[in-house]
Amino acid sequence: MSDSELISLYKNGNEEAFESIVNRHKRKVYTSIYLIVKDSYVAEDLLQETFIKVVKTVKSGRYNEEGKFLPWLMRIAHNLAVDFFRKEKRYPTIIMEDGDKIFNNLQFSEDSFESKQLVTDTHNKLKFMIKELPETQREVLVMRHYMEMSFQEIAEATGVSINTALGRMRYALINLRKKVRKYNIAYDKNIYPE
Amino acid sequence: MTKTFTPNELIRYYYKETSEKENRKILNALICDPVLQEQYKEISKVIRQLDDVKFNPSDKVIKAILDYSRNADVHSLNK
Repeated sequence: MSDSELISLYKNGNEEAFESIVNRHKRKVYTSIYLIVKDSYVAEDLLQETFIKVVKTVKSGRYNEEGKFLPWLMRIAHNLAVDFFRKEKRYPTIIMEDGDKIFNNLQFSEDSFESKQLVTDTHNKLKFMIKELPETQREVLVMRHYMEMSFQEIAEATGVSINTALGRMRYALINLRKKVRKYNIAYDKNIYPE
Repeated sequence: MTKTFTPNELIRYYYKETSEKENRKILNALICDPVLQEQYKEISKVIRQLDDVKFNPSDKVIKAILDYSRNADVHSLNK
């Protein structure tokens, strides 16, 4: 069943249709957010916020049938993630109500269960490499590859020319290739210290 | 003479953002130019690896989203 059909059912109160939509897109949305904010807890909060916006928009009858669902969903997720990222850069440490700090860095975001796998799982190594890319390169890579935005859309969203967006993507790919090669040559368990 | 293409154009080609006309030209160039072919292989290889990168949200957050939807009051959302 298409997204559009599921949304129609959901509009009429079918919660199973919404569940199908969420399950269909949760990994894609979460991956895109996570690669921008680099913190699994924040990414989950923003994933929740993204779908809450969907619920509110659809249930209040404000969803525009003409637009495609997935690009709309990815746009919401991207805007929330980028807003968070920009705020976070201004205020690198967030103090929670109970006094705990949330660190905007990899050490915190890797999570113990995830970091354990990093040395053995090729995909996780690549995840780590993507997160290490410079912000502008990572942003374009996530927008093009995971959010499936065209270079034209990326250029508009980030306020640069298409050539700049393409150049950033090219450098992101070059950097990743270098990192993968470097890793393959110098395979060493110490790449991610325990 | 076959036109030489830049890596940026190859990236657009990979993501199917080139026109039909450009596609034909790029395809011809790829057939004739082993250096370009190698560049395209490198680009494709890295991009294909990106497909393997997937993160999973927890079941807890998915449950929270579904619960929110089930409990959302349509009337209050319209306010």
